[in-house]
Order: sequence, then structure tokens, then C-alpha cells
Amino acid sequence: MSSAYSVLRQPLVEGDRTVAQVTADISAPLERRAGAMWWITFGIVFSMLVLGLAAITYQVATGIGTWGLNRTVGWAFDITNFVFWIGIGHAGTAISAFLFLLRQRWRTSISRAAEAMTIFAVMCAGIFPLIHMGRPWFAYWVLPYPNTRGSLWVNFRSPLLWDVFAISTYFTISAVFWYLGLVPDLATLRDRFAPLAKNGPLGAKLRYRLYCILSLGWNGSAKTWNSYESLYLLLAGLATPLVVSVHSIVSFDFATSVLPGWHTTIFPPYFVAGALFSGFGMVLTLMLIARKVVHMENYITRGHIDAMCKIVIATGGMVALAYMTEIFIAWQSGNLYERFAFANRAFGPFGWAYRIMVFCNVFAPQLLWIRKIRHNLLLVFILSIFVNIGMWFERFVIIVTSLHRDFLPSSWAHYTPSLIEIATLIGSFGLFFTAFLLFCRLLPMISISEVKGVLNYGRRNGEHQ
Amino acid sequence: MSDIDNKHYWKAPAGRNGAEGYQLKVINEFPEELDLKGESEGINRRSFLKATGFAFAGAVVAQMTGCSRPPELKIIPFLEQPEEIIPGREYWYASTCHGCSAGCGILTRNLDGRPIKLEGNPHHPLSKGGLCAVGQASILPLYDSHRLRVPMMGNKEATWAQVDQAITTQLADLRKKGAAVRFLSSTVNSPTLRRSIREFLADFPGARHIQYDALSSSAIQSAHQTTHGARILPHYRFDRARMIVSFDADFLGTWISPVEFTRDYAAGRSLQSTPPTMSLHVQLESRMSLTGSSADRRHVVTPRECEGMVALLAGKIAKLAGQSSAVIAETNPHFTAIIDELADQLWHHRGQSLIISGSNQTATQVHINRINHLLGNEGQTIDLTAPSQQRMGDDGELEKLRQEIAAGKVAALFILNANPAYDLPDFAEFTQQVQQVPLIVSFADRLDETASLAHFVCPDHHYLESWHDQEPVAGLITITQPSINPLHQTRAVVESLSLWHGKPVDAHTFMQQTWQQEILKRQNTHSQFQPFWDQALQMGFVQVKPDATTPKSFNASAVGNAATTQPSVPSGKLALVLYPTIGMLDGRHAHNPWLLELPDPVTKVTWDNYASFSPATADALGIKEGDVVRLTDDQIKIELPAHLQPGQNDQSVAVALGYGRKGTDRFAFIGPQWLESKPTVEPGHLIGQNAAIFLARQNNQTLYSTRSVQVQRTGARHELACTQLHHSIDVPANLATPAERRRPIVEETTLAALIKDPHAGAHHQELFPSLWAPDHKYPGHKWGMSIDMNACTGCSACVVACQIENNIPIVGKDEIARQREMYWMRIDRYYTSEGDDTDVAHQPMLCQHCENATCETVCPVLATAHSSEGINMQVYNRCVGTRYCANNCAYKVRRFNWFNYAHEDQMQNMILNPEVTVRDRGVMEKCSFCIQRISNAKARAKENGVPLADGDVKTACQQSCPAQAIVFGDLNDPNSQVSKMRANGRAYRVLEELKVEPSIDYLRIVRNRPQQLEDSHV
Repeated sequence: MSSAYSVLRQPLVEGDRTVAQVTADISAPLERRAGAMWWITFGIVFSMLVLGLAAITYQVATGIGTWGLNRTVGWAFDITNFVFWIGIGHAGTAISAFLFLLRQRWRTSISRAAEAMTIFAVMCAGIFPLIHMGRPWFAYWVLPYPNTRGSLWVNFRSPLLWDVFAISTYFTISAVFWYLGLVPDLATLRDRFAPLAKNGPLGAKLRYRLYCILSLGWNGSAKTWNSYESLYLLLAGLATPLVVSVHSIVSFDFATSVLPGWHTTIFPPYFVAGALFSGFGMVLTLMLIARKVVHMENYITRGHIDAMCKIVIATGGMVALAYMTEIFIAWQSGNLYERFAFANRAFGPFGWAYRIMVFCNVFAPQLLWIRKIRHNLLLVFILSIFVNIGMWFERFVIIVTSLHRDFLPSSWAHYTPSLIEIATLIGSFGLFFTAFLLFCRLLPMISISEVKGVLNYGRRNGEHQ
Repeated sequence: MSDIDNKHYWKAPAGRNGAEGYQLKVINEFPEELDLKGESEGINRRSFLKATGFAFAGAVVAQMTGCSRPPELKIIPFLEQPEEIIPGREYWYASTCHGCSAGCGILTRNLDGRPIKLEGNPHHPLSKGGLCAVGQASILPLYDSHRLRVPMMGNKEATWAQVDQAITTQLADLRKKGAAVRFLSSTVNSPTLRRSIREFLADFPGARHIQYDALSSSAIQSAHQTTHGARILPHYRFDRARMIVSFDADFLGTWISPVEFTRDYAAGRSLQSTPPTMSLHVQLESRMSLTGSSADRRHVVTPRECEGMVALLAGKIAKLAGQSSAVIAETNPHFTAIIDELADQLWHHRGQSLIISGSNQTATQVHINRINHLLGNEGQTIDLTAPSQQRMGDDGELEKLRQEIAAGKVAALFILNANPAYDLPDFAEFTQQVQQVPLIVSFADRLDETASLAHFVCPDHHYLESWHDQEPVAGLITITQPSINPLHQTRAVVESLSLWHGKPVDAHTFMQQTWQQEILKRQNTHSQFQPFWDQALQMGFVQVKPDATTPKSFNASAVGNAATTQPSVPSGKLALVLYPTIGMLDGRHAHNPWLLELPDPVTKVTWDNYASFSPATADALGIKEGDVVRLTDDQIKIELPAHLQPGQNDQSVAVALGYGRKGTDRFAFIGPQWLESKPTVEPGHLIGQNAAIFLARQNNQTLYSTRSVQVQRTGARHELACTQLHHSIDVPANLATPAERRRPIVEETTLAALIKDPHAGAHHQELFPSLWAPDHKYPGHKWGMSIDMNACTGCSACVVACQIENNIPIVGKDEIARQREMYWMRIDRYYTSEGDDTDVAHQPMLCQHCENATCETVCPVLATAHSSEGINMQVYNRCVGTRYCANNCAYKVRRFNWFNYAHEDQMQNMILNPEVTVRDRGVMEKCSFCIQRISNAKARAKENGVPLADGDVKTACQQSCPAQAIVFGDLNDPNSQVSKMRANGRAYRVLEELKVEPSIDYLRIVRNRPQQLEDSHV
């Protein structure tokens, strides 16, 4: 790896920062008071969260009937949101684990925030399977725990049960992986807050105690670093297959059914590609905001944005291929229900949703082939929003258009979301951004220790990894 | 009180004395002693943790199970156990339905002392085991808390003593004066009630009993008066007819005796013989009626054309019969061609055909009589010797009464089972005029439009609480016996009349007297009264000699040139067709939420009446589904939402009678109430509009379809709640190639094709072999069902039967509009259009109990599972409500409890079937093949020590089906009826290519048409 540095290559961290400066830069947002912008944004997103909580409380107390579902369309916003958020989460794991194993060193600046995004997204996602149940208070019945109801067990044939395992595993691994990566930085923060531990303000004292506990007595010795890096590598190895497995399993919810439009073998790779696509879209959105708001332009550089845009083009291409394959296979199958499902998707009552999806996911990202656009951060930001919208609609299209007109025309129905459903969707964004804003204030949003490894400073001094 | 409070209830004899050991056992939930000792003697750390852990877990489990179960209550048994009543065991009483005047036989199922379900009496000569939706639902008003509980005097609650006192005083006064007393009722064909009214009126000189039916068949009787010299309604025998021509008579839906007619009609079209035969049914009508939807040929005509074509046909037939008759000239060659063809076919089926008309114009009915006479149908398909007494109303009598009331000549008016202030065309005028009558006594069960005008309301029992009899067809006397004590302080009409008459007698005795005096002598089997009575009571009916006026032979000279007075429709107007719906009939069931929510069998609309337009007319007028339109004729107007009805005549608009009843605003908040819910009706408004104002009276007849109306859009919208949004078997044209537009879900063929090939009409789907061998073993029974779609008329009796049997809630209009109806059994209705003709297919759809059920694999908690008898079972208390099963069901038969659905009327909880769980919110449910009935039948067989025989288990839908289209049984038994049906060449399974192996077979629809007319299938 000694030749990893090339003079032609843009530095991964700009601004020629020293090691100490890096620490200071990244710790800065945690050490200064929150600005007005932060409070305003927090106020908005927290209100969204409260709105969502109120909606969920009302729905759980009154019944699923407060959603727009009906006898034909049994899932709509709920599972759309679930798959959407799970998909968002994928980019984090992909960046932190997948790219780590591939030795993509540019990942260091964005991995921490992307992982945080994963965890918050999975939290958002996890809400929906829970509240979409008719009797969420019995949600624990989906866990295979020993019980007193005779030999009553869960149904291991049900993709929903696979979801339970896949998502709980995914959340656990993601959280552990993220936390482990945080430990050296938490120790750094602990040390920075140490001077305030005695005479500082109460907040600082509390933070110091918190960082003390969370840093697990990290002492920065070579032995500690050695153990840490072995473990980190192991966890990365564990997390990487999850990038593929989780969304494959989520896609089984649909692929193993009999419904035309759901029952397709292409779903696992299609969903994984879609998840990465949407995940990178969301990482772009977040990073473009974050680098501005917390002044991390030196760390999250145009190079990073450029690289992520390329991933978006690649995964977007895969998604487009999947769309075309689906249509081709539907035609080639000769099955009238299958053919109808796709004709209805494009030209039926929800054709507008399909067209939004295709525009946002297939056409809009093509602009990113142009280098100038990739470097125009405002345009990239807009395109990333398009990707987010498009991918939400992709799930909506898959779920709702397949359900609303299936085999027997007598049962065809329409679907309109209720206010409660819309409020719940808003609430999930509220939760996501509330958690993210708190994260920005409480934890270093860039991995201090990892970034130091890719500094030009190190390279100039002949220190290579 | 305190004594009772301190009462010590004991659970086991040992507990009675507070025995010490028992107390301990009660406290210790786990009787076995726990081994807490472990290895050493004392409690060490491990055993302590074990013990606390166990105790904690126990407490948690106890808590959790406690959450899902109601608190334990002590049951206090009867102080005195009633004889022959065992709690939890069902008792059946033979009785007679009073849902309409048809008099079908029923069996009431009593559980724990109250009737909870009505079923058709299989031995009954008319209904033969079927029971329609109205009949099924007629049990609900028994538990309607809006029924009058006490008599009313001047719209105030009173005691019977007060009311009797007041009425007898007034009657004595009237008797002295010799004033005019009139008794107004709908058809009374009860020997007992007739005698009671007769005896009561005998006191008053010149007193008359006037019968009228809001759905009148008066013209048929008048026509027979003309042609046969006797005012009779013939008894039609559809089973004997090889050809049926119906001019706008909805005989399968609402006309005279639909259950009986459906049964006979299905029998004549059963295709059982070799080669298969079936009657040919031709329907001429303006709107799409239920009957029309089953017809082999359907001609869409205006009401005027319909009347005209009867006359035309009469002339044509007369010509064929060699009679010189002035054939009424018809200028329209299209109609001439139809009539020529009809006449030829009818002539071919002489003596085996049946021509009927729903018209209430005497002239038309005279023509009908003539046609039937010339074709030799009298004595064959038309029974005049034992005529029907199901509709005896005489519009002329009513007219006379109206004049008397208007002239202030009536001193006392008694009104029974009639609601003239609602269903007369000029009900407003009647309401004014009738107030001049010094004494009005009503026997209504609630303060309806008419009863609220009465000075006294003396509520009659619900029929399930009373002794009653009926003679629906001369010679058939049916019994109604009480199956519960009166719930309120109501009193039988017979008792009220006898009391006012001065000879008080209870209804039971009075009825027995009648039978002893009048009925016993009309038969020869029994000479003693008691065995005769006992047998009648047990069977629910007796057959005796008809006691009716014998008609004279057909009097051809009376026909003359009877001409109808059907006015032509001025240009710019549409002919208005008024019709009764399956559920509401004349409006008498407007307080029955089961029937209000029952989707109309053709339109599938619930909770409203509406103006039906043909799509072409609606297009021309710029009307869309749900647009409110104003129909105006002279000063009369009505505002109704529009409905687009394929198969309707372009020059007509159809509106249902029976809506807009007083008090239906009670249903405003039926169904779940939440943030976005809309009321079923706006508070203070009624359900639907009363279209009776458009009825016409002419020549002493009530006319239903003579008016023409101007149609205007009001600009307002009123969304109709429809259970089916896509009505065609074809998918929208822009979404499939022409070859793939029609879905192979409903299969049909023609009789001509069927004769050549028993498998005719099969869709030759490519069925791929399964990858897996069938691994379900069905060691005992394997339950299956077969539905003959050719027999099914779509009448929806099964829908209501299933609803009652399985405690399926009413959800209200808003939930229906949100496509959240809860029916386990639904009837899918599909239109197919071939040129101008619209064909209809009715497909009952319920859980298919698939062998490879797609719902079973996807449930994460195993809440839906396959039984060893082939039933797909839903475990309510295990369900967490993910709805995945419903999404993955290809037939979309699963129903989710979106809310807790409480009865609007708490008292109606009495109707709940204790053998079926009432589902909680958040739980999935669906058809269980009436698993409780299977268990009951098995228990009975075991009790009797005999194996379960074919036919022992009848599902609720099967039991009620008047056409016997549904067969349920054991597919493991090769001799069972259901196995034989499966082997029938017409049998196919819906979506068979999915390889889910449904347990329900459908038998193809067969249309009696020449083969070239067969639908061009893909």
C-alpha cells in the first residue's frame, strides 16, 4: 500500500491540516454553543417528531382504520416507509464496512455520519413493522421465545419473520460497529473535557463523565490499537454481508408472495441496488448540509461528493436495468396477470407515481455523468433529493400498485393516504433528523482517529498505513 | 343488600367450609410443590435465583394472560332449572317468516333462551329450505331497542289499561252512533287474524277491512276478475315452465314470492337430465333487475314499450292460435322481430311456458292472461285452483277508503302493517286528510310515519314473539310460534282486538279455536284436533283443501281491446321506473342495518337509493356517478345521487322505493367514529329519499312506471358507497391487449355447446406440473364446497346468512366507501358486453380454503393454519394483524378489523352467535366453512353413535340459498354430493393456474342460447 499516494490524486482532506488541527476542527462543533440555525432546525424537526408521535398514539389507540388502507390494499405508507428507511440505512453500512474492506480510504471522512444515519434510519424503519400491526402490543409474539402457550412457535416460513431476524441483526451489528469505531474518539473527547471536569460548567462535567464511561478506559496504547483494529476488521467483515442480506430478505416479503408485481426473482439484487442508491442519495443530502452547517468543507471535500455521485450513477443504472428487466420479463412471461400488473403500474390510476419514480431514479441521475454537475454542489443536492423522492415512490409503486389491482377485478380498490399516515411519515423524518442533529452536537461526526490516517500531513512525512 | 354483598360464593365443595388445604391450594397457583431445595438443605444462591426467577416469570405470565382474558366472573345458575332447556344447547322451532308477505317456512334457532338465527324450513312446500336476505335479517328488529316498549296514547307513553279504557270508551260511543269503522292493513292471509278482524268489525255496521300492498299486485287480481270471474292471484309454477317470458317482473328478487320462485326457477334450469335441459328465460325490462341479470335473453325497452309489447305478443299468439284478433300495429320493426321470435318460441312451448308481467295495469295483465290461456298454460304453469294469497291488496278498495277519509266519513281507522303516510303517492295529502279521523289506532312497532299520526299506538309483538298463522297459497297454512317471551310490553293484535271486542282471549287460545273451527275440517288425515295441531306445530305448516273461490274458465269476450294507458315520454324527459330493492322492499326494513348495508345484488351500492341512468344517457346529460340530480315532473321533485347502470334502457331512469323512512337518521353515527370518518347520513337527514311521490294512481291502480321526469344536475355531489369499484370482467382497455382483456375468472357456455361437450366453455389454461408432491394428508374428512353459478341468481341471501351466523359487524357507509366491508361471503358481479347486450355473472366469493394456502405461509405468528380436514383456520387470539395474509390472498377474501365495531344498538348484541368469537380490533378474519357447524354435527353424530353422513353439515350460506346453488361436504367421500359436483363437466376452479388448490369448485354458467351467440372466449 506504500504507493497509494499519487501526486495526481487530490488529497482526501483539504486545507493541509495537522493532526492537532484535525482534532480541534472536528471537536469544535461539540465544544461551542449551538447556534441559532441549529436550534431553529431542531425546533422544526422535533415538532415533526412530536407530530408523528401524536399520530402513532392516536392510531394505536383507535385502530389501523385511521390509515387509508382497505380490504385490498393492506399495506401502503407503512411498509413503503419501512423499506424506504431500511434502504437509506444501507449506505452507512456500505460506506463503513464494505468500503473499509475494499480499502477505500476516502470513506473515513463520511463513514461516521453515514453509520449514524444507518442507525437512525433503521430506528425509523423499525417503527413501521411495529405500528403496522393490528395489535402492536402483541408484537413480541414474532419473537421465538419459550412460552406457556403449549408448543406455540413462530412461523419460520414467513418472510416477515425473516425480516425480524434480519433487521434486529442488522441493527445490532450496525450499532456495535458504530460504537466501536467511536471509542478512540470518545477517549479523545474525554481527554479534551478533562480540564473542565473540576471547575467547568455542569454540562461539561456531565459530558466528561459520559465520555469517561463510553470510552471504556481507552488508553491509546499500541496493544489497545492493535486489538481495536483487529476487532474493527472482524466487525466490518460481519457487517458487509448484511448489506446484501438485509435488503434481500426485505425483498422476500414481496418476492415470495403470489401477487403479480411482487412475485419476481429479480427482487433481491434489485432491492439491494435500490437500497444503495437511495442510501447514497441520502448520504449526499445529509453531507452536503452537514459540511456547510458545521464547516467541515476540508474534510468532506468535493472529491467525496464526486465519488458518491459516481456510486449513485452506478446503482441508479442497476435500478434502471431492474425496471426494464421487470417489464421485459412480464411481457415475456405471457402471463396476463403479470402483464397487466406492469401495464397498470405505468398507465393505471397510480401511473403518476410510476412516472415520478422513473424520472427521479432513471433520468435525473444521468446528469451526474457530467463532471461539472457533480461539482456543482447545489445541483448535486437537488439531484440527491430527487433520488430520495424517487426511491420512496419506487417502494410505494411496488406495494400499492401491485396490491390495488390484483387477480379478481371485483376486489380492485383505490388507495388514498389518511392524515394520520402522512403525519406518521413526517414523524419518521422528524425522528431521523432529530437524532441526527443531536448526534452532531454530542459526538464527533467525522472519525477523528481515522481521518488522521489519511492526512496529507502523514503522507508528506512518509508515514503510510 | 349487605347480605347479598357478603354472600360467600364457593367454587368447589371443599371451599364451602373454608377447608384449610383448599385455601392453600387456591393461593398456590401451581399445585405441585417446587423443588427449591437443590442439593443442600437450605436455600443457596442458585436455588434462590431459580425460585425468584420462576416466581417472576409466573407473575409475568399471569399478568400477560390476564391482559387478554376477561376477568373471571362467577356464574349464578338458574334458581329453578327450566325443564328441557340445557344451557348452550340449541333448540329449533318451526315458524313462518314475516319479512314479506310470501310466507316462507323458517326454523328459528334458539340458544340460551333467545332466537339468534333463522333458517329455511326444508320441508316447507313453497320455500323448500331457502330463506332470502330479508327473511334472514328479519330477526334483528326483535332486538331493536327503538321498538315501542309500551303502548302510546297521543304520542305519550301509556299503560295498556289506560289505552284499553280509552279505546273501549270511544268504540262504545262509535257503536252507538253506528259510525264508519275501517281497518286498513297490508295483505292479511292469516285465518286467525282474518277471523279476529271479522269478529271485531262485526260489531260495527258497514265496517270494512281494506287491504293494500305498497308493492301492489292488484292488477293481476283485477285482470282475473275480468277474465276468470274471480279476484285471484295465480300461483305460478316456474319449475314446470320450459320457457319463461317476464315483462319487467323481478320474480327472482322482489316479486310476490321470490324464494319460492327462485327455488322453482333453479329446479327448471338444473341441467341434471341427459341431455341437459333448462328453461329458456326471456326478460323484457327497462332497468337491470336481479331477474334480468339471470335471463338468457334480455331485451331492454322503455316502460311504455314493455306494456305495448305485451299487447303485441297477445295479438301475435292469438293469430297463431287461429283467432282473428286485431293485432296492434307496431311500427318499430325491431320490436316486431323480437315479438315474432318470442311468439314462435312460445307457440313451440305450448303448455310449458309462463308469461308474467310486473305491471300493475289491468289491461296489460288481461293480455297476459290471454297469452297464458292461449298457450294452454293454465293448470300447467299457472295454478288457479289453489291460488296465491301472498298479495291480496286491492288498490280500488284503498281508493274508496281515500275518498271516504277525504269526505270525513270515517270515524275510526285501525292500521296494521301498513304505512300509508309513507308509501302512498300523495302521502302528504293523506297525512292531512287522515287527521280528520277522530280515532286512529295503529299496531306499528315504532312511531313510523303513520303511527305518529295515530291517537293510539298499540304495538304488536315481533313475529318471533307471537302466535300467528298464514295461508300464503290456498291450502297451505303455516304457523308462527313464539320462540321467546315478549321482550317488551307489546301485545298481539288478536288480543287487542278481542279485548276491545269485549271477549278477551289470548292469542294462543284464539288461534287454536280458529284452527279447530276452520282448519281441522279442511283435511281428512286427523279427526282429533290435538294430534293435528301438534303435527302442524312441529312441521310449521299443514296442507289442507284450498278454500278459495273457484275461477271460471277463461272468458275471451272480456278481453275486448284492453288498452293500456301508458303515456308516452315527452322529448327531453326520461321515463321514470320505480322499483323495490331486495333489502328494503316497500320500506318496511328501513330500520334494519343489515339490509341497509347489504350491497344491492346488481349495483353493489349500499346505504342509499339513487337514480340509475344508462352510461350512454349519463354521458349525454354529462352526469357522473355520484352527481346529485334533480328529477322533476310537474311540481314533484326529488334530488338523488346518480348511478351509472349498464344494461339499462337509454330513455329511462330508475329509482328505488323504500328509502327516506322516518327515524333512519339514527344510523348517522353507525360504524367507527374517528378523525376522518364521515357520518352514514348527515345528522338529521334520512337514509335515501322517498320516491313514492312519483307513484301514480289511475283507474284504481297504483302505477309504478308511468311518470316521466326532467333530469337536471344540481352541481352537488353525494358519493355512493359501493362494494365493487370495477364492474366489468374486462380490465380497462388501455391496460391489456384485446386478447388479454377478459379475465378467465368466470366461465360460461351455452346450452347448445354443453349438449355437445360437457366441458364446453372451459378455459384451456396451461397448467404446469407442481414441483412438489401434495403433502397434506386428510385422514378423516376433507371439506369442500361446490357453487353452481348457473343456479346462483345473486340474491344475496347467503351474504346475510353468513353475516348473522358469524357475527360479522355492520361497518357503516363511510367504511364501505373506504372498501372495508366485513362480509366473509360476497357476491362478485361482473358485466360483460356483447354489442348492445349486457350479460351479468354472479360469482359468490368466499375463502377458498386452498390446500396450498398462500396466507398460511406468510403469517409470522402461525395465526392461520391448515387443519387436517382441509380447512384454512384463522386463530383470532394469535393474530397480531400484519395483514400480510390478506395481501397474499389471490381471492381477496380476508377481512381485517380496522376498528372495534360495536353495534349501534347495544341490545342487538343479543343476536350474537355464542358459538363464534366476536373479533377484536386488529385481527384478521374470514370464512371458516362454518367450522362451528361442523363441530356441532360431529358432536351430534358421536352422540348418536353414527358416522357423519353427507349433508349433516350445512354451512349457513348453503342453508339459506333459495336456489340450492351451494353444496358443502366431504371430498374424501366419493359418494358425497360435493364430490359428484366436482366430477361434473362444468366444474372449474377459480385461478386454478396458481396451484393453490382451492377447495371450492364453481360450476360454469350456462346460457340457453344457440351456440353461435356464445361469448367469444379468449
